[in-house]
Amino acid sequence: MLVALLGLIAGIVIGIMSGIVFPHGFSGYVAMGILACLDSLLGGIYANMQDNFRWKVFATGFVSNAVLAIALIFLGNRLSIDLSIAAIVVYGSRMFNNFSSIRHWILNKNEKKAEQNAEA
Amino acid sequence: MIRKQYSAALTATCVILGVIIGVQYNTVKHQSITTENQRLSEATLALNQMQAERDALQKQNEALEKTLAEYQEGAVDTEMEQLMEFAGLTVVSGEGVIVTVNDSSSMGGGDRNAYLVHAEDLLSVVNELYAAGAKAVSVNGQRMVQQSAITCAGSIVMVNGVRVAAPFEIRAAGEADILHSALYFPGGVVDHLSPWGIEINVAKHAEVEVPAYTQSALFKAMDEEE
Repeated sequence: MLVALLGLIAGIVIGIMSGIVFPHGFSGYVAMGILACLDSLLGGIYANMQDNFRWKVFATGFVSNAVLAIALIFLGNRLSIDLSIAAIVVYGSRMFNNFSSIRHWILNKNEKKAEQNAEA
Repeated sequence: MIRKQYSAALTATCVILGVIIGVQYNTVKHQSITTENQRLSEATLALNQMQAERDALQKQNEALEKTLAEYQEGAVDTEMEQLMEFAGLTVVSGEGVIVTVNDSSSMGGGDRNAYLVHAEDLLSVVNELYAAGAKAVSVNGQRMVQQSAITCAGSIVMVNGVRVAAPFEIRAAGEADILHSALYFPGGVVDHLSPWGIEINVAKHAEVEVPAYTQSALFKAMDEEE
């Protein structure tokens, strides 16, 4: 977890130092990239907690979800329909679901530990 | 094994997320700077325009105040006198010449018309006088002004819309010697008219009175305009 946090900080530093600027009109795609990353992160952490983590699932999920979201936005831009809302809603709800599952899992684990301590 | 894959995947995702966040931060910062610069340049442009406008108005104001002061000091009367003189509404008297032109008394052969004084002949005399620096010219009491016309109307000549007939008396105020020479130079007006026996006589005078453009003619012109 610590390595991941360091990676996040390193990424932010690299991004700022690079001085790269997104072209005008790409904000929708950037939002999708951020959402895809956060969703994959939370999904990955949750799967790991269930001892269910498989990197192939993680990688394909990350890439294909991002590609689908970006394709939706592209189509939406062409048709002048804000299809990014669909991606944002799905990603958002999944993130909250995963986060609450993680929270529950941690709380359950702590309660079990407390019970074990009490029994001992 | 799974643990390693897990942390590697997590780290990779975190790095990607970080890079995107960093670049987006740059973008937002760049955009806000660009907008601020645009606003700044627009405001500077507007300021410059306003300053130029203000300077121009100040100059105009100064000029108008100067004119007002001049008018208050009586310049308006002087200006009106000058303009009236320029427009031919005042009698001009002073040094000048009186040119008398009359039809030919000798009747030679050929076309009779050639021995009469025509509007064109009077016009060329008047034109020559003005070219020589005459301040004011009149034909048979009709003052020549900006809107004057000398036209032919059958057997008579129209000046300022008034019929005039021979003998013609052309009064011109100006330097008498110069006006005299202007009419008499070789190949000039007198040379051109005298072969036909047309009596043309230029008399220098120390005091010539050129009449003003008549008020009745002025009122007539104003009536026609209405």
